[in-house]
Amino acid sequence: MLTMAQLLEPLRRHRTDQVVVTTMSAARPWGRISDHPLDFASIDSAMGHGADLSLGIALARPERKVICLNGDGSMLMTLGTLATVVGSGAANLILVVCDNGRFEITGNQPVAASGRVDHSGLAEAAGFRTVFRFDEPHEYAGALPTVLAASGPTFVHALMKPGREGPISRSSSEDAPYLRLSLADAARSVRGALLGRLPL
Amino acid sequence: MSDPAKPTETLRALISRGVTHVVGLPDSISGPLFHEAVRHPSLRLITVTREGEAFALATGLWMGGASPLVVIQNTGLLESGDAMRGTALRIGAPIPILVTGRGYTKMRTAGVAPEGPLSRALLTRADVDTTAVFTERTLEAWGVPFRLCEGDDDPAEILLEVIDAAREHDHPTALIVARALT
Repeated sequence: MLTMAQLLEPLRRHRTDQVVVTTMSAARPWGRISDHPLDFASIDSAMGHGADLSLGIALARPERKVICLNGDGSMLMTLGTLATVVGSGAANLILVVCDNGRFEITGNQPVAASGRVDHSGLAEAAGFRTVFRFDEPHEYAGALPTVLAASGPTFVHALMKPGREGPISRSSSEDAPYLRLSLADAARSVRGALLGRLPL
Repeated sequence: MSDPAKPTETLRALISRGVTHVVGLPDSISGPLFHEAVRHPSLRLITVTREGEAFALATGLWMGGASPLVVIQNTGLLESGDAMRGTALRIGAPIPILVTGRGYTKMRTAGVAPEGPLSRALLTRADVDTTAVFTERTLEAWGVPFRLCEGDDDPAEILLEVIDAAREHDHPTALIVARALT
């Protein structure tokens, strides 16, 4: 099992010019270690739709990889997205499901069928070109360059230890800079960076 | 199915306004547009599995610099509440929405007005498809401006106005089409 830090710190080291979209329990920890123009938190947004939004960015910018750090509860809300991703042919999307079996930010209640849903199996059955499954931190860290370079759509099933992140807001009191903006301003900031209006 | 050599007026409208992606799910009214979009060299068709996906996906497309159009039936619109609220509306993305209007003919034939009271008697009537009854009031509740196209109205012409309005106000804007597309 990986901790959130064991998942995110290697990604921060290897990340170059990819868009990173975070959701739920990954959002605040990522914003504490990364302050990049192409970071976007799908927070104060729509339940379970971070992967769809990430797919849209990926389809609009095929020259750039888009990494979505999704939760397992979020993924279960929109499983059809797996088929939409495959049908769209987005080779530049890396969909990471952080599977801790819990709704962490609401107090670690178990998700439906916690620990019994094989997310990597679902992705393979849906037709993802490349699927990885990690439950050991060193194996994940060592494979990350391969994950980022793989021909997609790519799915990463990360088996996680439940953490202790509390409810997330968008406000000036958040320690992650990208959570201090409104969702609308954050989206425009990323859009501006992708369109070359802001420095990368 | 439409003639591939003769683009429909609706398709011409999309091309003239620089729409890059059609995102949604087809029904019998929008089916011809999907057939055309999948073949057109300057349009990309993205078929989703559930309508809520379309709003998040279209918002991501807009964030990436594309110009999407969402095409869904009004049943799917009702399914899409939180997805539209939390993405296109919350972000203020200028996304035009073509909503095909199931149930409008039955509603008109039954003499029911879409703005009338929602009594149990109305909502359980066999000769009324309540999808139409809920469509306009739902858009109003969500703060989505809309135009209705039925009868002799020209859907392509109104679609152009809806696309322009969405872009002018940086806000999702809908066209309800309760007739065949041209």
